[in-house]
Amino acid sequence: MPLVGAFACAHTPQLLARPGTEDREIVLRVHEAFARVKRRLEALRPDLIALVAGDHIEAFFLTGVPAFAVYVGTECTGTFGHYRYRFPIHETVARAVVEEGVERGFDLFYTQDARLDYAFYVPLHFTMPAPAVPLVPLHVNVYLPPQPTPRRCYEWGAALGDILGRRPERIVLMASGGMSHFPGTDRYASPDLEWDREILDRLRDGRGRELAAITGQELDKTGNVELRTWITVLGAVGAARADVYCYAPSWHHGNAVVEWPV
Amino acid sequence: MTELHYTFPPAGAYRLNRCLFALKSDPAFLGRYLADPNAGAAEMGLDADETRDLLAGDRDALLARGAHAYLVFMAALRVRMEREPAEFEYF
Repeated sequence: MPLVGAFACAHTPQLLARPGTEDREIVLRVHEAFARVKRRLEALRPDLIALVAGDHIEAFFLTGVPAFAVYVGTECTGTFGHYRYRFPIHETVARAVVEEGVERGFDLFYTQDARLDYAFYVPLHFTMPAPAVPLVPLHVNVYLPPQPTPRRCYEWGAALGDILGRRPERIVLMASGGMSHFPGTDRYASPDLEWDREILDRLRDGRGRELAAITGQELDKTGNVELRTWITVLGAVGAARADVYCYAPSWHHGNAVVEWPV
Repeated sequence: MTELHYTFPPAGAYRLNRCLFALKSDPAFLGRYLADPNAGAAEMGLDADETRDLLAGDRDALLARGAHAYLVFMAALRVRMEREPAEFEYF
């Protein structure tokens, strides 16, 4: 059956552990948007959530840097500060994604025992219905150059959407990441909010396909290396018009939450 | 080519990046480092200059040594979360 829902969520850690330097009102605005996603998930009743996120050099350090990876264990676990989290994996669909993805020419990395980064956890902390819906965690390398090109992410997303859309399960596809931010650099206090807003306008117009043509250099220049996760989801939902739940930029981060009604 | 914010980590900076990775992702190591930063840096094989820049939290110096910008950011945040837990509101 076709995907039943598609979303993109910010995951900045300050939404989970808020330092005094973070505007509380902005954090709560993003939480409200997350609550709306949660209500949508409860209504959509997915059998699984395929969650595309960029590992923050947590599971995949310089000992091994996959471009695209699929978690195919029975469960996945991780930690961030005092947070401890554990989610079931939908092993049948995860394995089908690997097998069919490879068959379609995507040389996927898979793991049955990698840690789950907070990029996956933060949106789920706020949006996961109870009882927990099984996941298919899908990693895209966003921080360790050379990253996959946006076009390759889009192509992988198109294949992924087709694989998932042929499954009998009710599946929600979600991206975690973005928008503009520059952690650890001298641009940290200067996110490119204008670029974000222009991209959101294009997504509202259903012009998501255009993002496949953005270069990796432009993503880096605008603090949007993580937008590769959105572009992957756009490969599956490209022409859908985005419903922007919120764009609540802080002094360092373009926090966005988006649904693509499918 | 325009200078990127997130650059290919030079192999010569591997030990430094491994130390930053351990600070953010290995709670046991983070605990040992907080108890004795010099011993923690030594455990990760850092030399005196790298240790000085790490302990000083000198981001620009660490980046100039080939440290990955994200690792510098999150290692510093994790150290801050442990040293000043009351400074954060947890949701």
